[in-house]
Amino acid sequence: MNLLTLLIFTPVLFGLVILLLPSSLRASFKYITLFATLLQLCFSIYIYLHFQTGAAHAGISNEGQYQFMQKLPWISLDLGTVGKMQIEYFVGIDGISVTLLVMAALVMVVAAIASWEITSNLKGFFALFLLLDMAVMGVFCALDFFLFYTFYELMLLPLYFLIGMWGGARREYAAIKFFLYTLFGSVFMLLVMVGLYLSVKDPVTGSHTFNMIHMMNPANYIDGSVFSVLNHATILGMPARTVGFVILFIAFAIKVPVVPLHTWLPDAHVEAPTPVSIILAGVLLKIGGYGIIRICMGIFPEVALSGAFWLGLLGVISILYGAFNALAQRDLKRMIAYSSVSHMGFVLLGIASNTAEGISGAVLQMVSHGFLSTMLFFLVGVIYGRVHDRDIYNFRGLGTLMPRYTVYVMVAFFASLGLPGFSAFVAEAFTLAGAFKSHSVNGLLPYWMAICGTVGILLSAAYFLWTLQRMFFGTISLKGGEIWKTALTDLNLRETVTLLPLALIALALGIMPALVLGKINDSVLALVAFTQNALGK
Amino acid sequence: MNPNLPYNNAQTVTLAIIAVVLPFAAFVVNFLLLGKSKAAGWVSTLAIVASTVLAANVFFKVWGSHTIHLQQVWFTIGATKVQAGILLNNLSVMLLLLVPVIALPVHIYSTAYMKDDEGYSRYFSYLSLFCFSMLALVVADNLIMLYAFWELVGFSSYLLIGFWFTRQSAVIANKKAFIMNRIGDIGLLSAIIILFTQFGTFDLEALFGPKGLIALSNITNGQWVSASGSIPAVWQYVAFGGIFLAVAAKSAQFPLHTWLPDAMEGPTSVSALIHAATMVAAGVFLLGRVYPMFNDAELTVLAVVGCFTAFMAATIALTQNDLKRILAYSTISQLGFMVMAMGVGAYSSSLFHLATHAFFKCLLFLVAGIVIHQMKHIKDDNHLDIDPQNILHMGGLRKKLPVTFIAALIGGLALVGFPLTSGYLSKDGILIQAFDWSDNRAGILKLIPYVALFTSWLTAFYVARLIVKVFFGEFRLQKMNPHIHIHLGDGGWQYKVPLVFLALCCLFPLFSYSPVFYEDAWLYKGFLQANFFARENLYHVLIPVTVVILSVVVIYGAYVVYVKRNSWSFPQTGFLYRLSYHEWYIDKFYNRVIVAFILWLSKALYWFDKNIIDRFVNELEQVSRNIAGLAAWCDKYIVDGFLHLIANLVAAIGNFARRFQSGKIQYYLFSMLLVLIAVFIFKLIWT
Repeated sequence: MNLLTLLIFTPVLFGLVILLLPSSLRASFKYITLFATLLQLCFSIYIYLHFQTGAAHAGISNEGQYQFMQKLPWISLDLGTVGKMQIEYFVGIDGISVTLLVMAALVMVVAAIASWEITSNLKGFFALFLLLDMAVMGVFCALDFFLFYTFYELMLLPLYFLIGMWGGARREYAAIKFFLYTLFGSVFMLLVMVGLYLSVKDPVTGSHTFNMIHMMNPANYIDGSVFSVLNHATILGMPARTVGFVILFIAFAIKVPVVPLHTWLPDAHVEAPTPVSIILAGVLLKIGGYGIIRICMGIFPEVALSGAFWLGLLGVISILYGAFNALAQRDLKRMIAYSSVSHMGFVLLGIASNTAEGISGAVLQMVSHGFLSTMLFFLVGVIYGRVHDRDIYNFRGLGTLMPRYTVYVMVAFFASLGLPGFSAFVAEAFTLAGAFKSHSVNGLLPYWMAICGTVGILLSAAYFLWTLQRMFFGTISLKGGEIWKTALTDLNLRETVTLLPLALIALALGIMPALVLGKINDSVLALVAFTQNALGK
Repeated sequence: MNPNLPYNNAQTVTLAIIAVVLPFAAFVVNFLLLGKSKAAGWVSTLAIVASTVLAANVFFKVWGSHTIHLQQVWFTIGATKVQAGILLNNLSVMLLLLVPVIALPVHIYSTAYMKDDEGYSRYFSYLSLFCFSMLALVVADNLIMLYAFWELVGFSSYLLIGFWFTRQSAVIANKKAFIMNRIGDIGLLSAIIILFTQFGTFDLEALFGPKGLIALSNITNGQWVSASGSIPAVWQYVAFGGIFLAVAAKSAQFPLHTWLPDAMEGPTSVSALIHAATMVAAGVFLLGRVYPMFNDAELTVLAVVGCFTAFMAATIALTQNDLKRILAYSTISQLGFMVMAMGVGAYSSSLFHLATHAFFKCLLFLVAGIVIHQMKHIKDDNHLDIDPQNILHMGGLRKKLPVTFIAALIGGLALVGFPLTSGYLSKDGILIQAFDWSDNRAGILKLIPYVALFTSWLTAFYVARLIVKVFFGEFRLQKMNPHIHIHLGDGGWQYKVPLVFLALCCLFPLFSYSPVFYEDAWLYKGFLQANFFARENLYHVLIPVTVVILSVVVIYGAYVVYVKRNSWSFPQTGFLYRLSYHEWYIDKFYNRVIVAFILWLSKALYWFDKNIIDRFVNELEQVSRNIAGLAAWCDKYIVDGFLHLIANLVAAIGNFARRFQSGKIQYYLFSMLLVLIAVFIFKLIWT
């Protein structure tokens, strides 16, 4: 049995078990879910430990260099003269995906623990949760575009219901907004996917293929096909490959989210229940970044580089715009949602630089933000679960009331604002270093972008410290008076057990960034070389 | 560890690492294990004692002999191997020793000073964390680690300023301190990024060493050319600007100095260690580390800003009434002297002054701590509503606190720069070299040494005012409230020993056998660069004499004004007084203009987000809803309507025709008759 396949489908097996069990056993569902996610985490750690590094295992555009691969024919139709329809179940990972996989598996465990707060319709919730888990893992592993798309769309369905049924007051608005936004992106993605399918031939079998790695090789494109590198076909007067890139980029940019396609995020976060917020911020956003690296850069490298300036600009705008917006919030969860927009802007800036430093920084930032945003949303969930309020102005002096909670909040805040010693610092510093270096190395981004990016680091200090000062320090003063005071108990064992590993991981990645960088470095170098080559042709 | 290194060096590095890590270990133990235990104080103190011993050991091995640099790969990113390591040279071992030597008396003092505080163990954990960060900062061998500990130092300072976190003013002060330091941090980060792009390494020795990459680079034709490439020369200046911001933030130079006076919200022992002696010196230390990268124009900027800061802060210190605030501004002023010294090329004197200042400023703060503590006791015992830090309430304390008084006197004289004190040696060196430097300058730059000279008289005045108001005359609080009962004292050995120790360190013998010539000080010699000014001209005699004589006059003047005539102070009206009292309105400007602008901008952007971008999305939704509604209407009324029309038509015709098929014979006959009649009528009309 292939490990990746096991990793992907473990949750859905347990989901089936939950569906089959009678509702009278509903108390056990959360334990089953937790067990499933823990099992998945063990698999992912095993994969991480056995992941080979070295230039011979770089992956990217080399099918033979991917690891833990499994390739099975899935849908194979003989279409007579048109050829054969070839869709494969094809999974495998390289340096770009392996660390994200471990991160996602861990975030899922935390989300499962955060699900303790769910009280209604447990069977539905946990079944959907596990379905979502499967789809997320599938996205990171799929190397066949059709399979990728299937998993990608499959994420939407459970998320829609998870937000729409278990969310807050405006849950239906938020759910439909989220759904339409994402669907808008992915519908057009489908068209590009079909276009690519029709343009690419499997060099071995000679039939059309959805294999992403074949799509990365210009030699596999049929002469005269719409996306052929040599052909310069146009769509509505614009170069076809540029159109293809832009459409895919928009689809993923919505997920990241990149300003101005971000407005689903604050609503979805605010309305979603804590575990779903955790999954959204921790994993979903990274699928956007991952998609841009794997698919946009992989399949349309020359377009990505020629448009790098615009990508970098969007990244810088996201950093600053998200940070300013975060500063204006009074809802704690909304503030964190906007801070996510800001922090994910670094990812885009790093990718746009197309330097090893920038892309490594971007991947590290995704991993780091995965853990930190999980921690932040979990922490908001703690306070919201106690008093059902999260307006920053309604609290003061929580530091005296909940000292241990405050320690974790400080860790999460300072780690997020890039205090050295925690993961975000190395990630952001190298993203910016890469962005600055870009002009000297490949001339993609102007120097000032990196300098503007540093202002985002300053602003992040402003909004996090303001929140700390306003909510946690000072003398106790709560909107709910004595009732809140008794309700706001310090962290319990379950919460501590969840938060402690996250804090330790953020610390470990800050002190030993090699934990991530060591695994991704070869792939990043291969990616940079690959895109640079593509531009040369 | 590199096996090629001589055994001795490896051993020295190990000692240095242990010296750095011990306070961190104390932090971990205190934070995780000791909870509320009083043992925390002794854990931290023991750690710092051990650090001091080890650091001294390292110091004597390295000082004046050779540089030790040991590193190993930390992580690899792209083709860059980022190293982590230790760099021990004169500069780092001096600070490696200075920090624990200052920290040790502060630790001892704190065990008594903080003993009644609820957060006793928390205090010592933070203090140990600070010591660790500071020690690591000085021995770091590359820019990434330097930046990391640079920020950790800021973070521990944040924790300590906000130590009494239930006090609103304290938490606002620590937020301000951290954010202003962050401005410096992003400057430093930008500079690091620029240096990395230009030279491809973070290694301090490789960059700034005698034959380092910086030394080999040059600016030609508007390009900054290095061995590995070139970028436009403007980025060299941006890098300097970044470094300058970093220095200005940490060492409280104009325009980023306003956090330091507010930082006095922390416990006074913390102010002594962090916000007077060590952390604020980190900016000057950074200048020392990256000194080779500055060109002449940049050095001039440093000289001007340093001189201006020194002057401005001294004028503010003249009129403040808060004991700690006066000392804070005095710190800013002295740091200005150090930065100016760097700018005028008095590299060695700058670092010398850093060391001497650390001792006397720490001493003065510890004195202030004792005085404030005593005032607070009086306040608590008698339930008075007074500010225990206000010097207007004090007076005549020299008889009640004799040891404190003598310590304050020595510290004050050192700060003024009187002969026989260490301050005389270091400060006069700076002034003399400033005059030497200005000989070759034209225009406004000629003024710099004179402003500095004037500032040193201002220093003499505010120090005299402080000491006279606190220790001479009569106890004004008692005069105002004759019935209060007072018992004051210097306190236990934990107070006295640190004071005596630091006071001894403020005298000349620690630094030089000669009380007159700064060139003989060993610390000065240790940092001497090739291009130092030789003792050759009149300045070397004239300036010390002028400083001393005029200082004596100024001090006597202050004594007369405040004690003999017993008036409270100069007239408190007039523009200059208000300018000084309101700290040049700089803070007000920042709050009303810059902070307000940022907040306005964030609100405006949020409005934009909500009312433009999101509105657009919602409008889009509305539009598609309307289109859908239109389509539904069309579907219902046009497409379906047409069908219904046909159906209805057919039905109507059917209904009509149906009536003919009723099954009654009369109707059939009647209709046949009707048809026949109609046919006939038709025929008749037709024809």
